[in-house]
Amino acid sequence: MNAIKKAIHKKSMAGILFTLPFIIGFLIFLIVPMGISLYYSFCRYDILSPPVFTGLDNFRNMFSDPRFFKSVGVTFQFAFISVPLRLIFALIVAMLLLKNSKMSGFYRAVYYLPSIIGGSVAVAILWKRMFAIDGVVNNVLNMFGIHSTKAWLGDTKTALWVLIILAVWQFGSSMLIFLSALKQIPVSLYEAARVDGSNKVQQFLQITLPLLTPTIFFNLIMQMINGFLAFTQCYIITQGKPMDSTLFTTVYTYQQSFEFYNTGYGAALAWVMLAIIGLVTLVLFATKKFWVYEGGY
Amino acid sequence: MKQKLSVLLVAVLLASTLTACSKEAGKSGNESIDETSVSNDSADALQVTWWGSQTRNERTQAALDLFAEENNINDIDGQFSEWNDYWQKLATASAGHTLPDVVQMDYLYLDQYAKNDLLVDLTPYVNDGTLNLDNVDPNIVEGGKVDGKLYAVSVGTNVPALVYNKAITDAAEVEIKDNMTLEEFAEVSKIIYEKTGYKTNMAYGTSQEILQYMVRSVEGHVLFGENRLGIESADELRPFFEIYEKGVQEGWFLSPDVFAEQTAAAIEQDPLIYGSSPETLSWVSFIWSNQYVAICNAANEDAQLEITTWPAKDATLSNFLKPAMMFSVSVDAANPAMGAKVLDFWTNSTEANKILLGERGVPISETVADEIAGLLSEEEQKTIEFVNDVVKPNSSPVSPPYPEGSAEVSELINQLTEQICYGSMTAEEAAERLFTKGNQIMGQAAE
Repeated sequence: MNAIKKAIHKKSMAGILFTLPFIIGFLIFLIVPMGISLYYSFCRYDILSPPVFTGLDNFRNMFSDPRFFKSVGVTFQFAFISVPLRLIFALIVAMLLLKNSKMSGFYRAVYYLPSIIGGSVAVAILWKRMFAIDGVVNNVLNMFGIHSTKAWLGDTKTALWVLIILAVWQFGSSMLIFLSALKQIPVSLYEAARVDGSNKVQQFLQITLPLLTPTIFFNLIMQMINGFLAFTQCYIITQGKPMDSTLFTTVYTYQQSFEFYNTGYGAALAWVMLAIIGLVTLVLFATKKFWVYEGGY
Repeated sequence: MKQKLSVLLVAVLLASTLTACSKEAGKSGNESIDETSVSNDSADALQVTWWGSQTRNERTQAALDLFAEENNINDIDGQFSEWNDYWQKLATASAGHTLPDVVQMDYLYLDQYAKNDLLVDLTPYVNDGTLNLDNVDPNIVEGGKVDGKLYAVSVGTNVPALVYNKAITDAAEVEIKDNMTLEEFAEVSKIIYEKTGYKTNMAYGTSQEILQYMVRSVEGHVLFGENRLGIESADELRPFFEIYEKGVQEGWFLSPDVFAEQTAAAIEQDPLIYGSSPETLSWVSFIWSNQYVAICNAANEDAQLEITTWPAKDATLSNFLKPAMMFSVSVDAANPAMGAKVLDFWTNSTEANKILLGERGVPISETVADEIAGLLSEEEQKTIEFVNDVVKPNSSPVSPPYPEGSAEVSELINQLTEQICYGSMTAEEAAERLFTKGNQIMGQAAE
């Protein structure tokens, strides 16, 4: 009994016990499945029968698979277009909502709303309907006199933009982060600049933007990773049609794993995707010292 | 004191979470297969899954509720989904051995599921009378057998059915006759487009079925053979792609934009009955006979939907009766005997079939088919007449179940037709590509 009492009083015991639920969950639901998935990526597995070890076959097949390369291209396009656009809108709206006017609280909530509900299935289905031949977008254009019966989702050139716009519409979460960072910039800097005779544009470029670079960097990394991992919107709205012009690698992995039953190949695709995302993040971190301001205010 | 208390609380929380998790793991491990005894006190819920349209879901659930009443079961948990999602769900369920008790099976996947020991062999239940198949045509029973063992009971017969809107064909003054050829089909589609502006949809998105149908016109040929495509050369595939090419060039084929906005293979969104203008509508739909009732129910009043055969070079060789709506008992069922009883109920109970009313195809038990004949609506009678009078006398045996690799080749076929419809590929190229890549995929999948 005394030994137990002593054990409970030790500070490290408390720490261990408090983190144990998380560690167990992390191990069981994350590490172990990842390990199994890594094993599957070296196998031939069709879910219905046990996996058969085949070595590097899956990876070799990947390099002669044109759909894989197309999907990586599409995913990069999606990420590298939607993320900067998102951040630009987030910054603009954050700057507009900086003043604490009576309605600013309400506006902040309203702009944040899409990023909460936007990832849902219901909104994705609604979005699909909006861009249909007889959908809201075409009807609004007709109202303004632009006669439009364009099938936005049927044209290879515009289908990806429907998905990009959906992603950019959800800029709310980045906006809030920018808002809090903007509020932290000391007002004295702006006062000093005004005394020196600079105008608003110069203040923005010389004070606001440089001091925001750490936040921009943080948002960029987070949003870029999320952009690469986008699945729901693509799967519900286009499933990769037309002609693979909107095939994200995540959706392709799903197709291979659960529609063609090449689950081993799907696992290999997932791990390659992980490597790609890791590489992009690494490159971003490496270029950090060139443009991110690390000092204080 | 505070630290001791909080640490103890966390430890208790942890312990309770772990016991809860292990309890769940323990429950699924306790399912053992009960051989041939029928336990009379099974009040547990039975899980049945199927795919289908609104009409089918309602009728099936009603029939299952009747079974639950008659057999003192608390509740039958019926889960349904669309065709595509159904197979994905079933595959993942089989990996975790959480398959529902009774699953709807299809000819396409019967082979794979049976060979991987995921379905219960029903022969013992037939032998001891739980599953009574005496009134069923032996050919139909054969359809559910793999390697001589009975894995599924097909509760309805299905045939390929071309459903067309007579209102449109009458307006265009064309006559649609049974067993027409591909050339006649293309001719008719062109005339209808010129005279009425309605376009044509030839099985876009599910085109592997019509290709299989066409390939069968050559004796002994099938689309998906053992580790290869069951055909001799790319020439056999070309006429199929040429129809799409012709349709796009002559303007009567439905634009793929319409399909970009839909859920694939949902009967309620078929361009035959769902669309806002003639350019987004089709006068025809390539479906199956047991979807005729559903599509009639989903159509609006001024559509007059009639039923005929898919076009082919040789109707007798191409047409077939497919054992459909197969039901199987999965190996994860806690009480397989009860599952077999459900199958028996489906086949032999007149009451059940009065609810289902042939929506799942012609009832396989001849006594039941006779008994419900008088209750059928006009559409249901038309379906049965079509199967029995038009197709049955003029058909050949169904091709073997599709082997592994067929799903990927089917996707390839649909991608190639998509490219032809967008004008970025010719029929010649598509046929060549399908022949080479298709053989490659089938060969690899069989290893």
